[in-house]
Amino acid sequence: MGELGKLHQLIIPFFGHNITINLEVVVMTWIVFVLLIVLGLFTTRKKAILPRPLQALGELIVSLLYGLTEDALGREQAQKYAPLVCALFLFLLTSNWLGIIPHLEEPTKDLNTTLGLGLMGFVIAHYAGIKSKGFKAYAKEYFQPIFFMMPLNLIGELAKIVSISFRLFGNIMGGSIIILVVSYLTYNIVLPPFLYAFFGLFVGTIQAFVFTMLTVVYISVQVK
Amino acid sequence: MAIDIETVVKIAAYIGGGLAMGLGAIGAAVGEGYTAAQANAAVARSPKTSADIFKNMLVGQAVAESASIFALVIAILLLFVNVPVPTYLKAAALLGAGLSMGFGAIGSGIGSGFPGGEACTGIARQPQVTSQLTTNMLIGSAVCQTPAIFSMVVALMLTFIDFGKVPLYPTWAAYLGAGLSMGLAAIGSGYGGGLAAGASCEGIARHPRTATNVTTIMLVGQAVSQTPAIFGLLVSFILMFKSYPESTALSASMALMGAGICMGFGGIGPGIGNGMAAEGAVRWVARNVEHASDLMRIMLVGQAVSQSTAIYAMVVSLVLIFVV
Repeated sequence: MGELGKLHQLIIPFFGHNITINLEVVVMTWIVFVLLIVLGLFTTRKKAILPRPLQALGELIVSLLYGLTEDALGREQAQKYAPLVCALFLFLLTSNWLGIIPHLEEPTKDLNTTLGLGLMGFVIAHYAGIKSKGFKAYAKEYFQPIFFMMPLNLIGELAKIVSISFRLFGNIMGGSIIILVVSYLTYNIVLPPFLYAFFGLFVGTIQAFVFTMLTVVYISVQVK
Repeated sequence: MAIDIETVVKIAAYIGGGLAMGLGAIGAAVGEGYTAAQANAAVARSPKTSADIFKNMLVGQAVAESASIFALVIAILLLFVNVPVPTYLKAAALLGAGLSMGFGAIGSGIGSGFPGGEACTGIARQPQVTSQLTTNMLIGSAVCQTPAIFSMVVALMLTFIDFGKVPLYPTWAAYLGAGLSMGLAAIGSGYGGGLAAGASCEGIARHPRTATNVTTIMLVGQAVSQTPAIFGLLVSFILMFKSYPESTALSASMALMGAGICMGFGGIGPGIGNGMAAEGAVRWVARNVEHASDLMRIMLVGQAVSQSTAIYAMVVSLVLIFVV
């Protein structure tokens, strides 16, 4: 049970501060990048009117996600944000599914990954809000309904980052801890395949979808 | 009568196990009863589909049971856990694990009964969409389990992680606080997520064509209702992993336990409230799908307002941990 809560870290001293790099997470993230680039290359190779199976798969994924973005943001904005949404969802989905392969781990199991993605969504949403409403109208919203609610509104916005990133992190890390403990207790005999199917495939898909949808919805709340 | 340290750890483990299973048995039983009641009503309304309704009821109840099964796993672990180095700190951690899992299973258990019940009613109303309803019910009630899963993770961490050499005072209170924070905060979120999932099963049965929109909004609504549970998880992680300076003053210990209690109780109401907001949005998206994006936006803004009390609770508990 010693593996619980242990990390392989590379610590670089840097002018009195220590820069800590979680090696496994970096490697796993690069594996996800490579998988997605390969998927992209294969699905767009030899494009034709009559699509081959892989092209059909790619078109299916993109059109589904495009439709979802259009529902939330409207046709005009969707053209701008749909590529981001597709990339985010595919990255999260591949990351969450990576853990079912032995010796690989989900990059989303690390809080740094999810917090980074949450911050990205936050910055994009607020940038979109400022751009579409203008800075004055944007800033005014923080003083609703009364001016002294400002600090609490601000904390409420920041809490969104915490909730969106901890939701993904907690689910994926929780799943892997439960799998680890159960495998240890049952000597890897019976249950783990079912648990991998539930936590890896099912919960992974749902959480990737939820994270993507929340990012889109946060943008749409800011824009409109 | 002098009690040696091994006995203290054993006592804590047994009480923790008893709390985990005793409290954990509450929720799932209520939820399953609701499913069964709705199934009876559904069979009476449409006796021809009774086989489908019966099957759906059993599947729904099996999923609703999982929160109690998590509690059972933790309870059995606590009864037979083998502590290599018994300390008073471990005793507090085991008690905290029992509290976290026991309270944490209540909300998810009750909540995941709602989608099961509404799916049974829905099958009676619209037998053609039986398989769609069962799928939606499974997704909804599986997502309801998230708060219980968080509680289980905190319980497992408290049971198994070796926190190393940390001062007994005030860390013992931090472990109890971690358990209370996660366990209590999970109650509201589990229940609220169930409200949203139930409304989505009802909506799909009324307007099967809106299923995609309804499921999407259900997932978003449930995810936001889980936010108080996520705050509880955050506070209990901070309580578990922060290192505290040794202090035998009682006030330092009580501040940490107070932080856990504050976040725990503070999370119950917002979880239920957010669930109600999601329930309303999901129910009306099914009836008025053209305005789905407006409904979703208003749901989110409303949830953000109702969540502010959870944020106050989190701010107070962070102040208790870091400032006081």
